[in-house]
Amino acid sequence: MLRFLTYRLFSTLLVCTGVSIMVFLLIHMVPGDPVDMMLGESARPADRAALRHALGLDQPLWTQFSQYFSGLFQGNLGVSIHSSRPVSELLLERAPATIELALAALLVSVIIALPMGVLAAVRRNTLWDRGAMAFSLLGVSIPNFWLGPMLILVFSLGLGWFPVSGREYSGSLVLPAITLGTAMAAVLSRMVRSSLLEVLGEDFIRTARAKGMPERIVVWKHALLNALLPVITLLGLQLGVLLGGAVITETVFSWPGLGKLTIDAILRRDYPVVQGAILLISITYVVVNMLTDIIYGIVDPRIRLGSTK
Amino acid sequence: MTNRVLLSLLILGSVFMILSCSQQDNGYIRFGLSSAPLRLDPRYATDATSARLNRLLYDRLTDFDETSRAIPSLAQWEQLDSLRYRFVLRPDRRTFSSGERLTSADVKATYDFVLDQKNASPHRSSLALIKDIRVVNQDTLDFELSHADVLFPSYLVIGIVSAKAVQQGINLDHNPQGSGPFSMLAWPEEGRLQLQRRHDKQVFEFVHIGDNTVRTLKLLRGEIDILQNDLPRELVNKLRKEKGVSVFSRTGSNFSYIGLNFRQKELGVRRVRRALMHAIDRESLVRHILGGKTRVAESILPPEHWAGNKQIKPYAYDPEKSRELLEQAGYNNENPLRLSYKTSSDPFRIRIATIIQQQLANVGIEVELISYDWATFYGDIKAGRFQIYSLSWVGVKSPDILRYVFHSKSVPPDGANRGQYRNPIADRMIEQAEIATSIKRRGQLYQLLLKILHDDLPYIPLWYEEHFAVVRQDIKGYRLNADGNYDSLSEVSRQN
Repeated sequence: MLRFLTYRLFSTLLVCTGVSIMVFLLIHMVPGDPVDMMLGESARPADRAALRHALGLDQPLWTQFSQYFSGLFQGNLGVSIHSSRPVSELLLERAPATIELALAALLVSVIIALPMGVLAAVRRNTLWDRGAMAFSLLGVSIPNFWLGPMLILVFSLGLGWFPVSGREYSGSLVLPAITLGTAMAAVLSRMVRSSLLEVLGEDFIRTARAKGMPERIVVWKHALLNALLPVITLLGLQLGVLLGGAVITETVFSWPGLGKLTIDAILRRDYPVVQGAILLISITYVVVNMLTDIIYGIVDPRIRLGSTK
Repeated sequence: MTNRVLLSLLILGSVFMILSCSQQDNGYIRFGLSSAPLRLDPRYATDATSARLNRLLYDRLTDFDETSRAIPSLAQWEQLDSLRYRFVLRPDRRTFSSGERLTSADVKATYDFVLDQKNASPHRSSLALIKDIRVVNQDTLDFELSHADVLFPSYLVIGIVSAKAVQQGINLDHNPQGSGPFSMLAWPEEGRLQLQRRHDKQVFEFVHIGDNTVRTLKLLRGEIDILQNDLPRELVNKLRKEKGVSVFSRTGSNFSYIGLNFRQKELGVRRVRRALMHAIDRESLVRHILGGKTRVAESILPPEHWAGNKQIKPYAYDPEKSRELLEQAGYNNENPLRLSYKTSSDPFRIRIATIIQQQLANVGIEVELISYDWATFYGDIKAGRFQIYSLSWVGVKSPDILRYVFHSKSVPPDGANRGQYRNPIADRMIEQAEIATSIKRRGQLYQLLLKILHDDLPYIPLWYEEHFAVVRQDIKGYRLNADGNYDSLSEVSRQN
């Protein structure tokens, strides 16, 4: 385990260094000037030059790069060009909203997908199965920018159950979590179904049934636990994506998360914020994947991390 | 066991979702913003939302009337000679939100800070003519200029901050210390700002909701009480029919235009520019797409501006004349005029560009539309990588913009003459206006200049967009101002 963790930490460091270099170069290569974005059309050339100097944007790219990296190694992500606030402060301000939405969406998807996938597998080729798979197809096909406003129309304006958007009201989380969780549930339920079908055909299931074990125990205890490995992989990947921020859902619901922060920063060419946000997203992704690998070992004790055998 | 886990997940999920956010029902009046404010320090703020909110937090020496002429705000002024102005602060002025009295030392500290090169204030250049500021007494101070400029009082519109805050280097973005009618209550996140009206402690929350549809739905459901501008026409029309909200509008001065690149040989010919002008049916665009109080424009300064020209005869929509002019310029069905048209990726701008593309096609001009995100689009325009493009000038007050946009020495990076328009007569008129010793004479010269520009067509003028506001019916006292500021929030109340 220790060997595994050391290896993964080392590879995380490598990935993050690579991502930082790539993001720094790419964002500086994209057309558009942050000073223009900040000062607008009527700013005078001298004011532009003064601001460019104050922000260090008149320095050669290599100098900016080395300043960024030396700051990074001291734990300093820089200061936002637009709001003059430390990037770390901005990220910390947005992270709770993103974590909250990601966990809630994950919960929604598991609550929908697990029973649905199991039902579809156990009652294979029945109306239940077809219904579940139709939902799955629909869930994958409906884009969030449509589903979100539709949920708002029905549940906020029509029924008045939940607020339209924002994070400051009671129940604000429900609609964005359902919007984001639905598509995930659709993918997940298909995965649960196919994985469970495979396990249900195995010899040990036949043995369990032959021993007279109740079908409920066979499916939920023996089969489902064994079918969970690929589902956990998928969940890990999805959680990594969600923690990076769900841009469309965050925009539709004015959810103040990391995805919205990153997109706004890209559009404004706020270089330090883009760099900091993408670095955080990549670290999150790598860490979540590492945790997924650790959970493998807990779910299936035959898997020993870091073992060469 | 698994059933128990599932049940726990279900209960946990429901509780988590419903309790994860705090309840909020606190009598705040909420204002929906299409873009979030970035800076609450008036010495640095440049974006329109920050500027409008800063007007609520800080007072300024002068302001503008409906004709964009400078009027006293915090101070009356007197011109001592061509290079010296004396400002006397109003005796009934408000104190700073900290309770301290605003004095001429605060005014000096604010302007000294802006003028100090090392502070890199984006407002420094427009004030660079200030040579010295002398405090006469607590209520009076003198400005000495390096050269005469009859428009000088109109430049003094930066919010006055406390001298103590300047000396102590206080971060005014998060601790604004102004003497305006509002004070800061909290800024919990970038898109949510709470200001408190000082005289009655009423709290206003400014909420950023980027999506137009969601902003509209929030208003209908009562999650916000007021929104202003930045909605497509169809949503405004829908809101007009809704019960519980009122929509009202007024004329605005934000000038939309099509910029032309004079370095392109086709567009360097005046006949071709006039053909474009006659081919675009601005009246119909205004009537069907923009609607309300949007007006067809003939120049960058609206007719009600003190330097605007009311006598300019509008160009008529005349496709026949347009075809005739193109024919004279050597273009016909076999040899059509081909142009590329750049615009931003804003859906509304693309929609307008598409209609203009069709109108130009009707007279035989083939137009290729290209749209980019704002930063890329603007970068291209500044670098002169365009044939024609559409854009707007927002918040134009000072006729100084005429030098910045049309003088031959204002080619980027020295100005915004992006199409490289060059006319020695226009240059001379701009220079003469700037040294005029009276506002009246300066206005006359600018009016002549506007006529020349209207004949030359470095821009194809389109329209001045209206301002509109949508307000829930229990909100009283909100008025629209000429430049779209939020000043009337000082008088807004909720009536049950």
